[in-house]
Amino acid sequence: MTAEAPRPLRVVVVNGSPNERSKTMGLVDVILENLARELPIEHSRIDVYRLGPAFTGAIEREDVPPEIEAELRRAETADLLIPAAPVFRGSYPGLFKHFFDLVDQYALANKPVLLAATGGGEHHALMLEHAMRPLFGFFQALTVPVAVFASSGDFDGTVLLNPRVHGRIEIGLKDVAGLLRDRAASQ
Amino acid sequence: MPFEIGIMTFGEVTKDPVTGDLPSPRRRVRETVEQARVADQVGLDVFGVGEHHRSDFIGSAPAVLLAAAAEHTEDIKLTSAVTVLSSDDPVRVWEQFATLDLLSAGRAEIIAGRGSYTESFPLFGYDLADYADLFREKLDLLLRIREQNPLTWCGRFRAPPHEADIAPRADGETIPIWVGVGGSPASAVSTGRLGLPMALALLLGPIDFHAQTVELYREAAAEAGHDAAALPISINAHGFVGRSGRHARDTMYPYFAQGMWENNHQRGAGFTLSRPVFDAQASPGAGLLVGSAEEVAEKLLAYHELYGVKRALVQMGFGGVPQKDHLEAIERLGTEVAPIVRREVAAREGSAS
Repeated sequence: MTAEAPRPLRVVVVNGSPNERSKTMGLVDVILENLARELPIEHSRIDVYRLGPAFTGAIEREDVPPEIEAELRRAETADLLIPAAPVFRGSYPGLFKHFFDLVDQYALANKPVLLAATGGGEHHALMLEHAMRPLFGFFQALTVPVAVFASSGDFDGTVLLNPRVHGRIEIGLKDVAGLLRDRAASQ
Repeated sequence: MPFEIGIMTFGEVTKDPVTGDLPSPRRRVRETVEQARVADQVGLDVFGVGEHHRSDFIGSAPAVLLAAAAEHTEDIKLTSAVTVLSSDDPVRVWEQFATLDLLSAGRAEIIAGRGSYTESFPLFGYDLADYADLFREKLDLLLRIREQNPLTWCGRFRAPPHEADIAPRADGETIPIWVGVGGSPASAVSTGRLGLPMALALLLGPIDFHAQTVELYREAAAEAGHDAAALPISINAHGFVGRSGRHARDTMYPYFAQGMWENNHQRGAGFTLSRPVFDAQASPGAGLLVGSAEEVAEKLLAYHELYGVKRALVQMGFGGVPQKDHLEAIERLGTEVAPIVRREVAAREGSAS
């Protein structure tokens, strides 16, 4: 292995959808495909709804068992974080917030974060700007300027068909492709 | 393809908001067949029956109603509007419409849709969670049945037919299959990719509401290698043709408002469609096909101009419009509106070519 071989960008998806077949993850699949065309990546996913009672019952970070600690660490040490959630009751789901309530206050500082969400209609789109982005503003994260939203009508099942959303993903990633390459190279 | 104008009905069994009269289902099935007969007589091109599985509609089995209509008509095309394919068996759908095609000497058509109501899913034992997958798979099977016989096919939701003989076959070469699209970008894209004709449903809203839907449909069709410009689009919309614009709106309003009250809910309950809101929907910039013959013709031409539609199905009985008024409107649509639209469209297409 030569010293110049770039390490793939470690992408971690935090999935806020409770569904096995999820439009939110259908949207994330497209993001990851686009991203993989820009630079080498390796990606993994944390399903907050599958972390179980040891996670949901934890009030402090010290309360979590090692397997949950490992999941939190994975999110905290990612090169690029993709928090993705359906809109529930006007915001991200409670369990999704619970995950980030356990994340260390400074662990995401200056970390590239690409925001993604799905909802029943386009009137939910600003959840990304009015709820999700401020959450990562608290963490002083480096949120990607373009956040990606898709409505139910953009999907056939969980497959994203609307070319306009595909276009928005492409634009959003183009904006930060250089930055992400630098991050991958500098680690 | 010349411009086609038709009517469609859901076979509503609705209490008349003006007289309080509730028609019997028996009366409504006869009235539905009579609507088809009059539409045929006045030279309309298409008669459609929608599928709903509720006591306030008699349209749970459109193919049966269309078969009765076939016996009382000569030329008019007979279509479902729509067949809720996701909760039906494509083999059975084909058998019924192929039989209708024989009975009517080649006039049967299918508009396959997902359905805007979901009652049929539990009724036939389907899971709403499979909504999209069911439609995709069943449409694929229906198209394959149309294409070849015997058929070997494999899917997720049913045992695979192997060398299955599915009969009868169409009376002529084929049975047209359209896809009903309510306006979601994904439906437009998937219909375009398949290169199937698109039946656009427009309820209320600006007349150019579907501009993006049509654009996505044609783009997806072209990308998949279909002749996008040649693919027919039809518009299905509510309306009423009156003696005058005023007469049309006055006649249609109480029934349409009643139909909306019963079928279009917010917070789980009906809400009043006020007269000013209705009148706004009837204005030239909005979608309702209500007015004098000239006004309705004008709006149909606007649809043609905007979307390149080749067919319009007008639903004029929603909310239980009395049969007498409904039949008069059908007659005006056939004898007054259709000639204007056909002439104008032919002239425009002639000058364009």
